[in-house]
Amino acid sequence: MPILPLSRRRLLLQSVAWVPLPFVARRLHALAIAALDPRTLRALGAAVLPSELGPTGIERVVAGFERWLAGYREGVELVHGYGTEELRSTGPSPAARWTTQVLALEAEARSRHTKAFAQLSIAERQSLVRAVLEGQRIGSLTQFDRAPHVALGLLGYFYSSPEAADLCYQARIGANTCRPLADSSRQPVPLTRSN
Amino acid sequence: MSGPRVVESDVCIIGSGISAAMVAEKLAEERNATIVVVEAGAESDRLGQRTALRRRFLDYGESPWRNDHLDGYDVDGIQSRSMQVGGLAMHWGGVTPRFSPEDFKVKSLYGVGHDWPLSYEDLDPWYQEAEVRMGVGGEQGPPDMDPRGKPFPLPAIPLSHNLLQLRDWVTKAGIAMWSQPSAKNPVPYRGRPACCRNDTCSPVCPIGAKYSPDFTWDALRKSGRATLHTRTMVRRLVKDGSGRITHATARALDGGADLEYRARTFVVAGGYVWSSHLLLLSGLANSSGLVGKYLTGHRNVSGFVSLPLRLYPGMNTQHSLVSKQFMRVPRSDRYLRHDLRVWESSFGREPRLADDQGKLLLGDELLADWRRRTATGTARVRAYYDVIPDRESALSLDTAKRTAWGDPLPKLAWRDAPESAALQEWSEGRIRVLFADLARAGGGTLLTTRSDSFQDHPAGGCRMGDDPAMSVTDSWGRTHDHENLFVAGAPTCVTGGCANGTLTFCALALRTAAKIGEGLRSRAH
Repeated sequence: MPILPLSRRRLLLQSVAWVPLPFVARRLHALAIAALDPRTLRALGAAVLPSELGPTGIERVVAGFERWLAGYREGVELVHGYGTEELRSTGPSPAARWTTQVLALEAEARSRHTKAFAQLSIAERQSLVRAVLEGQRIGSLTQFDRAPHVALGLLGYFYSSPEAADLCYQARIGANTCRPLADSSRQPVPLTRSN
Repeated sequence: MSGPRVVESDVCIIGSGISAAMVAEKLAEERNATIVVVEAGAESDRLGQRTALRRRFLDYGESPWRNDHLDGYDVDGIQSRSMQVGGLAMHWGGVTPRFSPEDFKVKSLYGVGHDWPLSYEDLDPWYQEAEVRMGVGGEQGPPDMDPRGKPFPLPAIPLSHNLLQLRDWVTKAGIAMWSQPSAKNPVPYRGRPACCRNDTCSPVCPIGAKYSPDFTWDALRKSGRATLHTRTMVRRLVKDGSGRITHATARALDGGADLEYRARTFVVAGGYVWSSHLLLLSGLANSSGLVGKYLTGHRNVSGFVSLPLRLYPGMNTQHSLVSKQFMRVPRSDRYLRHDLRVWESSFGREPRLADDQGKLLLGDELLADWRRRTATGTARVRAYYDVIPDRESALSLDTAKRTAWGDPLPKLAWRDAPESAALQEWSEGRIRVLFADLARAGGGTLLTTRSDSFQDHPAGGCRMGDDPAMSVTDSWGRTHDHENLFVAGAPTCVTGGCANGTLTFCALALRTAAKIGEGLRSRAH
């Protein structure tokens, strides 16, 4: 992130002070999305997602992740069910944090290998990701909007999807999608490249 | 200064949840009466919006029911904040078991708690009517466990490939299980489409295959047979010198003049919290001192069983097997009655970021690890067991928390009757032993169990009975103290049984509607 001259920073802070906070949050979120480097993000996807997806599948997942991130809204009420009077809302957008981390991966690749992250081999990219995550609390793949690192956010996004479950089980389960009720009694059909 | 705006009707229903919908629909169909329904919450989102709202729920966890509660109504001990047109049944899972015959006579049969003033056989026709109105599909269980006067109106939701395997498993353990009855259309019904396994019945069915009360309200409003006032909080019911309720005073939450609802008959249908709350605020129907008392429900023990079966989680995640085999206790045994349900599950087999040694998994390693751990499957098991409520399992007025206009909010304190409290640890232990036996029968392992402290499917607070000193309403939901004041559905339950309560609440509400209808002209005249 470029360091702004003091006077510009002060001006920015002063102008932010009287702008409603939700507006500021939305604006910062939008700025972070615009700054997300698509090339490095795709290179990250190829490194951490399963190779069985192939280039087309990885592109589809990463593009879906970008759309998901762009659609994130802060402070929206979460679903509340039985057994609690508590109401909760979505947390801060992870966009700024993740965008910065993508930039940091690129910087680290150039520093260590004098190459762009996207020009590294899959093993080199994975090694960089492992180095970044070493010692971090990596958490789980659920609630991936809170993932401490963009690599984990991307993995959480993919592995929460019906597509990932189908790939794991190598069967066309189609969870959370509209499917004929009558078909449910049959074993799901095997997943093939054509379906 | 002008007075309140007066709204007159034959029947004024307070609340618009599922019990209110049953009462209104039956009266509107069968009687020539003006019906006004007053709801504190806002309109629920329209069916056409639910696909997009569900998408946001799936992608971000956002609530698919916007504005479904009132700010400031945070009540200690409440099970859900939901307050909107359709009530909590906008979120429900559409699961519709009946109570068992034993539920209605636990005192006579087992010497615990209190009998209801009606029997299962008395309620059977009303169960049937509720099933027809909602569109319940089900599979007839063994008749001695699952008696019914008539067949289900709709066929059962078919068992998925997973549930078929799980049924084979429980059969090895000597347990009869069948398809859980559900108000989810297995075939198109009453203008609503067939279920297509979207897997989000609770919190939201995007296509309307699951019954929810908004369908009833839409139809009644379209036909002009009922008027619904939303965002209107009834604050008091008022009686005259003879004890008859003359009117309800209400406040429009979005401003404007206060309202006064005048009606021949009043029906309080605000569920287990707001019904008792309104009666306590109004100082009505409480000669027994039991308004708000005997809040009831059931607790559960749940667990996960690892099984040597190839299951495919996600085939129809919210549908389950059910058994009523444990609802009848041998007279010689200690008192424990419970249902049993089995679902597919992915518990313990979710994808993970690190292996057992803590090594971070990336790329193909992560998928390979997931595949290895999903070669066999997991079942979720759960038993709801009957809890006999104490008199002091109660809703009271909370003088420390008030609404914006100064009315005390309710507060809830749940308490088991001494006989249930004494049995809790033993009961939950027995259920865990059953789960372990089940696991062994399938060559599997019981992975984990838990007991929730809260009581699910809450009810009571205005319990029914023949003795006015021991109950708030009679078996028809008519308050003992006020000839033209009825309470509908959940609040009138004596106990919470050991199965989801909604169908029972609806059956009771329909019975209440039939009694109210006796005082109204038939539509045929």
